[in-house]
Amino acid sequence: MIRSPLTNPYVLILPGFLLAAFIILWPLYQLGTISLNDVNRFGQLRGFNGVENYVAVFTDPDFLGALWRTFIWTGGIVFGTLIVSIPVAMILNEDFYGRSLARVIIMLPWAVSLTMTAIVWRWALNGESGMLNSGLQGIGLIDQNIQWLARASTAFPVQIMIGILVTIPFTTTIFLGGLSSIPDDLYEAAKLEGASRWQTFREITLPLMKPFLNISIVLNMIYVFNSFPIIWATTQGGPANSTDILVTYLYKLGFRFGKLGEASALSVMMFVLLLAFTILYVALAMRRERT
Amino acid sequence: MNKTALKTAVAGVALLSMMGWAQAETVRVTVAEYSSKTGPYFEEAAKAFEEANPDADIQIEVVPWDVLLQKLTTDISGGANADLSIIGTRWLIDFVDQGIAAPLDDHMTQDFKDRFFPVFLEPSVMQEKTYGLPIAASARAMYYNKALFEQAGIEEVPDTWDALAEAAEKIGALGDDIAGFGLQGKEIETDVYFYYAFWAYGGQLVEEDGTSGLDTDAGYKAAEMYKSLIDSGATQPGVTSYNREDVQNLFKQGKVGMMITAPFLSNQIKEEAPDLEYGVAAIPAGPDGDRGTYGVTDSIIMFENSQNKELAWKFLDQLFTTEWRAKFTSGEGFLPVNPEVAEQPAFADNADLKEFTALLPDARFAPVIAGWEEIAATTSDAVQTIYLGNGEPKATLDAAAEEINGILGN
Repeated sequence: MIRSPLTNPYVLILPGFLLAAFIILWPLYQLGTISLNDVNRFGQLRGFNGVENYVAVFTDPDFLGALWRTFIWTGGIVFGTLIVSIPVAMILNEDFYGRSLARVIIMLPWAVSLTMTAIVWRWALNGESGMLNSGLQGIGLIDQNIQWLARASTAFPVQIMIGILVTIPFTTTIFLGGLSSIPDDLYEAAKLEGASRWQTFREITLPLMKPFLNISIVLNMIYVFNSFPIIWATTQGGPANSTDILVTYLYKLGFRFGKLGEASALSVMMFVLLLAFTILYVALAMRRERT
Repeated sequence: MNKTALKTAVAGVALLSMMGWAQAETVRVTVAEYSSKTGPYFEEAAKAFEEANPDADIQIEVVPWDVLLQKLTTDISGGANADLSIIGTRWLIDFVDQGIAAPLDDHMTQDFKDRFFPVFLEPSVMQEKTYGLPIAASARAMYYNKALFEQAGIEEVPDTWDALAEAAEKIGALGDDIAGFGLQGKEIETDVYFYYAFWAYGGQLVEEDGTSGLDTDAGYKAAEMYKSLIDSGATQPGVTSYNREDVQNLFKQGKVGMMITAPFLSNQIKEEAPDLEYGVAAIPAGPDGDRGTYGVTDSIIMFENSQNKELAWKFLDQLFTTEWRAKFTSGEGFLPVNPEVAEQPAFADNADLKEFTALLPDARFAPVIAGWEEIAATTSDAVQTIYLGNGEPKATLDAAAEEINGILGN
């Protein structure tokens, strides 16, 4: 078949590519330039200085701590969400009275801005006047106020929990789509063969849901890795940097301390890290699917 | 194109753009939002100015204080900054070093200078030039709850830190949800809350040899004293989860015996907790009678790349007339920076404000050092570590001092 050059696929994706390049590649190029230069606090370049900014970030003891916590943060939220969202999606997929209302309630947190949710949680977590303490006392679980945000050992798990809570709606939506694509006759056949619920779940639901699980893991990983509002609104990465993840550390570096060169270097590193992880995960997932 | 043609073209463009200006000269002003009254105040001032100068167009941009530095950084790097802006005076050195702030001395007459208390004008003088005018000034003093003092049987307001510790323990013993001394341990000015005791024990943020003063006896003693207040239950529990507003809220609820903060708490109490019986006193002194309050000024600066410096100055001149200053200062609850404003009865007869102004001779301003924000953050981290009990005072402060010395370039 002879194609007109105008319908050549490369020509067709060109406008989209240019738009993406303008939004993504150009800032990335700028970022790369700044990260290789000596920069003053107002972003004005003061001459090339090689990888000095990268070395400065690497040798900062706070960097490694933040990096490690970013892994816990991302892993905790992505897998925590997965574990909660699958049963939620399965329940919402059943036919029961009031299902549409239940679906709306699950989706509702999605409608509220993340920063707003985080600020509400900050109030709820307040040691003296917070709803969480008075609620827990009300049902008799604790008899003394817990200062949730005072130290990392309580603050960070709570932050991860908030993260899971706000990620559930999006993930559940994906899973609901996945579940409705599984034909009912598969379940009926399994039932006739005498399969238990667990067997049905393991042998039918899970394998057929795999593409949806993978896409939710990849997308959530990207969102959560770069998620700033929850930690910033509750602890600003404190006390003593003990709840900092890379994004909050980056914000402090760039806008508090005015080290725009180091902040750019860190941004580039984060971009590469996230890209590498995503490619790795997608590659692994696709290989498994092929075999 | 030959040279003459080019010149003509350039001249033409310049002429055209000048004609553009002649119609309506625009001055953009970035202001920090101190309270809900800030925006309306500046809009009103702009309107009054435009009525007096029909050719002028003043555009006010109100920015929340927390993101002001971020906005200025982004604006300046993109060349899109306003003509005038409010900044924290402690940031000024960076603006001056990079040639971003314009010196104002050519515009300032002696008569204009006389409108200010010299102590507030000084922090924005660098390399013998004035780069900013003090738009807002504040100091810190100790607020105490008279009802709690009475219940605990304390008759005298503590004037030393030893007396404060004793009083705080007595008040703390009144009940589980009552704290003797409200201690801030989170977010902005966590370091400053530590300096109050540090200065009282004779400490200096930067020693004469240019190194950090945290690793001195004053630092160790202040940290140990705060830590013992925390351990004995004289402060509210979980201090590292309380920022300044959180402690102020506890004070307004009548749950805190004493706390140190800025004059604006008086205004808030008047509106939100009018029945609270409180007093304002000096920050306690140390064993040798040293004491220090934190003085803060915010400055309004003119940008070097401003195209309308004359008009911008005219607007500044209006802002610093007694009428406009009085309105701003009373609305926001700041300290008057102008003698004429201070003499007005609204300020002169205000008992709370008097305590603050009496402390001004002891006021210490944030040192004029490039990288001060990073030093403050390092200090905050160190005191948080101590408050949490994750580090010994001496070892933690020594490590912080070493890090600060690195920033100071020693």
